[in-house]
Amino acid sequence: MDHPTIISLTDADFHLDSILPQITLPTTGASVLFTGIVREQTINENARETVYLQYEAYQPMAETKMRQIADEIRQKWPTIEGIAIIQRTGRVFPGTPSTLIACTASHRNTGIFEAARYGIDRLKEIVPVWKKETGPRGEEWVEGQYIPKPGE
Amino acid sequence: MQKVKIFFFANLRDYIGSKSVEIEIPIGITVSGLIDLLVLKFPNLEKVRDSMMVAVNREYAANEQVIPQGGEIAFFPPVSGGCF
Repeated sequence: MDHPTIISLTDADFHLDSILPQITLPTTGASVLFTGIVREQTINENARETVYLQYEAYQPMAETKMRQIADEIRQKWPTIEGIAIIQRTGRVFPGTPSTLIACTASHRNTGIFEAARYGIDRLKEIVPVWKKETGPRGEEWVEGQYIPKPGE
Repeated sequence: MQKVKIFFFANLRDYIGSKSVEIEIPIGITVSGLIDLLVLKFPNLEKVRDSMMVAVNREYAANEQVIPQGGEIAFFPPVSGGCF
């Protein structure tokens, strides 16, 4: 059976309930689903309130890189069955998921936890998406730290 | 010379004041040569020149890479998708 890969860069809210069935096969017995959620209150370093985040993407390259991450996951963990990688664009308000990585496999001890973790870490490294944070004191682009190697 | 379209994203778009520009560049120019040329044309970019990423045909490019004719070029800051 084909292993489904769902890649989505969307300006609409996505619903967690609709995703899992799309990556569940008859052989699937485990799933790990990670979502990043827009946080309203940041209380550790640089404490602040967030009114909303505005995500911008270089769409064709972002989709290519999201697909590349799915390929990397399958190379590292060949037992993974389904993969979903979703990234929001546009304005996202606190309490709303902005990113999702989901992996399915036959059992939990197949590396799915690590695979989902790898997916979100990698998304933050190489997928050309940026966010501008708006708070009570104005707006500011958030800059990443990772510098991809040529061709990465 | 060749005419190319360059896309800008996030704060670089703000600095340029436009999503994209079309400019004439020498055939055979490298990525770092193009960066020099753009900083000259848009002095605002000087402060971010060391942190700018350059993609050629939707791949992260090396400084010494030659800009291919008709290539799709994009400049942007280090990515910051996902959550915090």
